[in-house]
Amino acid sequence: MAAVLPPSGGLPGGEDPFAEGRRRLGVAADLDTVELTEIGEDTMELNMGPQHPSTHGVLRLVLDLDGEVVRACRPDIGFLHTGFEKDFERHSYQQCIPYSDRMDYLAPLINNLGFSLAAERLLGIEVPPRGQYLRVIMCELARIGSHLIWFGTGALDLGATTPFLYAWRERETILDINELVSGVRMHTSFIRVGGLMADVPDEFEAMVRNVVHTFPKAIDEYELLITKNPIWRQRTVGLGTISAEDALAYGMSGPSLRGSGVAYDLRKAQPYSSYDHFDFDIPVGHNGDVYDRYLCRMREMRESLRIIEQALENLPSGPVNTLDRKVAPPPRNEINTSMESLIRHFKLVTEGFHVPRGQVYQAVESPRGELGFYMVSDGSNRPYRVKVRAPSFSNLSALPYMVKGGLIADVVAVIGSIDIVLGDVDR
Amino acid sequence: MIHRAHVVEACALLRDDPDGLYTLPVFVTAVDWPDREPAAPRYDVVYQFRSLHHNDVCRLVVQVPEDDPTVPTLEGEFCGMDWHERECYDLLGIVFEGHHDLRRILLPDDWEGHPLRKDYVSFGEPVAFTHNIEWALPAAERPPGMPGSSR
Repeated sequence: MAAVLPPSGGLPGGEDPFAEGRRRLGVAADLDTVELTEIGEDTMELNMGPQHPSTHGVLRLVLDLDGEVVRACRPDIGFLHTGFEKDFERHSYQQCIPYSDRMDYLAPLINNLGFSLAAERLLGIEVPPRGQYLRVIMCELARIGSHLIWFGTGALDLGATTPFLYAWRERETILDINELVSGVRMHTSFIRVGGLMADVPDEFEAMVRNVVHTFPKAIDEYELLITKNPIWRQRTVGLGTISAEDALAYGMSGPSLRGSGVAYDLRKAQPYSSYDHFDFDIPVGHNGDVYDRYLCRMREMRESLRIIEQALENLPSGPVNTLDRKVAPPPRNEINTSMESLIRHFKLVTEGFHVPRGQVYQAVESPRGELGFYMVSDGSNRPYRVKVRAPSFSNLSALPYMVKGGLIADVVAVIGSIDIVLGDVDR
Repeated sequence: MIHRAHVVEACALLRDDPDGLYTLPVFVTAVDWPDREPAAPRYDVVYQFRSLHHNDVCRLVVQVPEDDPTVPTLEGEFCGMDWHERECYDLLGIVFEGHHDLRRILLPDDWEGHPLRKDYVSFGEPVAFTHNIEWALPAAERPPGMPGSSR
């Protein structure tokens, strides 16, 4: 029996710098006198993040650990707070659109849509059918792109490297479509108040058809890798469970709520932008655990493909922007010939349009849940107040409940399963 | 629009009544109206709930005055209101009485002012260079009258 460590911790004559750590871990300096800490007597506070790869951004968690078991979890957010709601108050309605892109940066088009629909409801205008269908196609592509990131990074967090590379490969084709229609790959600002930035080019249809044809096979491939994988099931089944009642009380929405068995999808319940024209199902889970939320999102990607296919088949012809010249700028050729159009264009670019007084709450189904815009107008050309109801914010507030009593290694799995975007949480 | 004394019972009624079942707390926020006619209270505290059963949303507005911007907390009725109330306190300075942990949530703990109030100056803050180095001082030691400080 040999004493491995010198009692002073190796520092001649000085204080033992490791004494506190040893006491917490139950390791004595002299191994002959090891005393184990009784379970529950002492918890260790562990800081996780904000620079942690598994927190999907800048999320900081303070965990109270009892050995490997999480006794309490205190999220600390706000590292990505940018004050977008204040920015909205200082910009005209069209100028707000690029800000909305940058909140939920994995599905920017759906943020554009929520903001535009809220403003359009206050203005009392409706977008022509072609514009609505193109909005649906672009938003569902954005939803698939967002779910692909969730799938890739969520699997990577749990040690599966391959799905990450596959998901990125498929997402690239969606970004190519974004680039084709708007010139930008991610923060497209393609959906504007009153319609779209422009009509889509001729290649659009072939590229979207390519997605509709190739993606089911790609999703089959992902499912082959992961869905029945015993390691994946061990790491996800029965973990981070939340009942439907608790999920509702926490204000959860989207696939995180549907994983608990609540079939509520705003695209079905309160259809906007012609979603009621399409036939699709709402995937729901039963157990409300990480695995069910995973299954919901995987099936949701297939449903999104169904919507895209139907929208593309029945894509109407006609204008994409509202014909209300007080909102949508006149076409280029008219500006060359008509003085009134030139003035109107100048007014729209410099001043923007004025929105009647009122308040409206418009919610859309983002990949993360209910994304709501509560917009108050005082009749000027800028929103008086815009409150963004971020789905990730409410979903994340349920995290301490879901990880309590679980193991520290599972915290990462649960964070991945609620699919937060910190830009959306902090705004 | 209801009085703040009745917020808790009104929300409990909305949640539990079979004709309501507004079980999902959507958000709570506030709108600042500093230029409303003098007698009117300055803040509108806005609550939004969703009923999945009846597929409906419901909005409650509580007006609170500038000198006493307090409303009772709804934490006990909906645990999801916890963070939303902290956000509303952080950005608008509405105090939710009875909240167990009413701290700032998005902004740093030592932030001054509430940015979404209309009188908060949110642009024109100088950057501290040699000629205006006092801008880098903590707010309490800064000379009075520097732009960017909140009222």
